[in-house]
Amino acid sequence: MAFYRGQQGSVKFEDTGGATALITSTRSWSMTVEKESLDTTALGATYRANVGGLISGSGTVELLYTASSGDETNAFIEMVNTATDEGAAAFELLLTTGKSITFDGVITSAEYSATVGEIEVITVSFVTNGAITLGI
Amino acid sequence: MAAVNLNTVRSVIEGRLATELASAPVIPVVFHNQPYTPTPSSSWVQCLVSFGGNNYLTLGGTTGSSNSVIGVIVINIFTAKGVGPSANYTIGKRIRDLYNRQIISGVHFDPPTGPEVMGSPSPEGYFQTQVRMTFETFEDL
Repeated sequence: MAFYRGQQGSVKFEDTGGATALITSTRSWSMTVEKESLDTTALGATYRANVGGLISGSGTVELLYTASSGDETNAFIEMVNTATDEGAAAFELLLTTGKSITFDGVITSAEYSATVGEIEVITVSFVTNGAITLGI
Repeated sequence: MAAVNLNTVRSVIEGRLATELASAPVIPVVFHNQPYTPTPSSSWVQCLVSFGGNNYLTLGGTTGSSNSVIGVIVINIFTAKGVGPSANYTIGKRIRDLYNRQIISGVHFDPPTGPEVMGSPSPEGYFQTQVRMTFETFEDL
């Protein structure tokens, strides 16, 4: 049985179409995929019934600021500030090589911070747009 | 970039101190694993660099990833016994100013602690204080 440690993960991103590229200095990522439940309980029933509804995802990526420019890392941390975002940016969140979650999405927030004595960290949050592919 | 060269980091730290103390007034300085027989009642400095914790900084394997390499510098300052702390603190200030919040060749120095008076000087026969500080550098694999 194989187990994996966090450092085997990675994040790839592409904001303008084409192949996704590695986001450098990523410290962590997390994503939650949710499915709404629709109550289909009949009147008079004893037990509640549910069916699955719409599926969506959201999450965060935490990365260290490296002052990179002209690459996808820079695009990733600045994309929240774009005026028109059609949700076409490609995300690929890898648990390990070849095992990933892929989707198009919208970056909804970016928290930039500087704390004395600590490495500068940027936390980017996103939501999915359309299908989510679990290749895990 | 590559795995951190510990001797490069050490030379950044020690070289900075050696250069400073080689300027007037010259103070002898000795480093780890070097023999030294001090002249009685003279002033001299011992600099001990040690590497400590290393931490993951980023995701990734043996390439395209970064680690944090942390270490500590202990600098013992010895001056003549029985004549007050002034000469010792003068050296202490030179050393503090040398590293305090500096970023030199990718080595980040934290604010120093001390000069702290050592109750039991080693070797005996001197007034001893100690300046300590941590440092951090980053390894890009």
